[in-house]
Amino acid sequence: MTSTIEIQQFSLWDKLRDKRVPLSFDIEVTARCDNDCRHCYINLPEGDKAARERELTVAEIGDIAEQAAKLGAMWCLITGGEPLIRPDFPEIYLMLRRKGLLVSVFTNATMINEGHVALFRKYPPRDVEVTVYGVTRKTYERVTRKPGSFGMFMNGLNMLMNNGVRVRLKAIAIRSNLAEQGAIAAFCREKTKDYSRFDPQLHLRYDGDPMRNGEINAERLTPREVVALERADGERMKSMQQNCSTLINDEFTHQGCDHLFHCGAGNGSFNVGYDGTFRLCSSLCQANTVYDLRKGNLADAWFNFVPRVLDMRSHRKEYLDSCRSCPLVNLCLWCPAHAHLETGELDGATPYFCQVAHARADNLIV
Amino acid sequence: METDITLDAVCFPSDDVVAREIEGEIIIVPLVAGIGDADDELYTLNDTGQAIWQKLDGHRTLKDVATALVAEFDTPLHEIENDALGFAGEMVRRGILVASQKKQ
Repeated sequence: MTSTIEIQQFSLWDKLRDKRVPLSFDIEVTARCDNDCRHCYINLPEGDKAARERELTVAEIGDIAEQAAKLGAMWCLITGGEPLIRPDFPEIYLMLRRKGLLVSVFTNATMINEGHVALFRKYPPRDVEVTVYGVTRKTYERVTRKPGSFGMFMNGLNMLMNNGVRVRLKAIAIRSNLAEQGAIAAFCREKTKDYSRFDPQLHLRYDGDPMRNGEINAERLTPREVVALERADGERMKSMQQNCSTLINDEFTHQGCDHLFHCGAGNGSFNVGYDGTFRLCSSLCQANTVYDLRKGNLADAWFNFVPRVLDMRSHRKEYLDSCRSCPLVNLCLWCPAHAHLETGELDGATPYFCQVAHARADNLIV
Repeated sequence: METDITLDAVCFPSDDVVAREIEGEIIIVPLVAGIGDADDELYTLNDTGQAIWQKLDGHRTLKDVATALVAEFDTPLHEIENDALGFAGEMVRRGILVASQKKQ
């Protein structure tokens, strides 16, 4: 009469997805962070008073989570900024768990303390995902620009892992840690079994800060470097080659269609910014595509607003003749959200993305 | 772990789980560590389990629950009592239900 099922085998996923239910959502509980990473698309200083004052309260987060659960949400990611910067993080976390949500946490682990460990041990998260910026103090802190952060990261990570908290590690490949990528991968593989993720591509900031965007651009790898990293990761390369037929579309499946969105945005998940802004995905910040949950409600956002966004179109010939019909779109960081961050337009082209996509395709085809 | 559940037991959901109804199905989400046999699990109930679960209000005994279900399932009382005992025993063993004897 009782069936125990692993989450991946949960038959309701498919049933709910067919009904366009918001199965999962990300909530950025803050944009503030104790680190100052060069490549970060969101971080604001830890002491940014204005940002702190705009943050959703525990009660507001609870209200949004309650609405999400009523609509069928099962999974929630707490992210930031650095979520643990909020003293009320334990309250937020436990409240989300008590809604019957499976909760994951993204953290840099530098602020992990015994209280967090006890919380995670008693009320286990689905996982805690930690980014490894470097495996030496010099490299790590070159990225984070915070003296002492490497030691804090290692301490936090060890506390989590020594206490049996399920941790997943991931890496970001940027100019400042490129030389250490091999060591980072080895570190991650040694610590956890399921490491396979590193991200070699950066998108620009949500707030469009030109100085910080300049820093991100300076951290971007060349197409040749991206390909070299992917080639060095045998597992990743093998997977990409096996999926080559889906990564490269000889004939674009939506040929002739002028809709902007052909991704999964708004189909089964959504994102909530730290100030209560509803977005179809975390990167989609264009003014006409966001909804203020402080003035409305989730059901209205999901059932009325999202379909209007998904119906947005572009008639610009340059777009229709290039990104819209490019067979390499699945190898490319281009999407309307990233296009907007790069160009200010949802249908703008980004030569850098294009160059990386072509380099990756050449590498796969050879 | 063996459980000594009798038909006089009053069962109710543990504070260590959250039960949710989605699309007509009851999903039980473990809240604390140690519920169930492994990590990363959810629980679903079949029709019988679901019918029993919905009647576990913290006041009814399992016998009361079984009696209430006879009409719904058109099944002899003793069979439903056995189902209720089996269900409650399993759920108590997993830490999903808490059982107490009804106070007279």
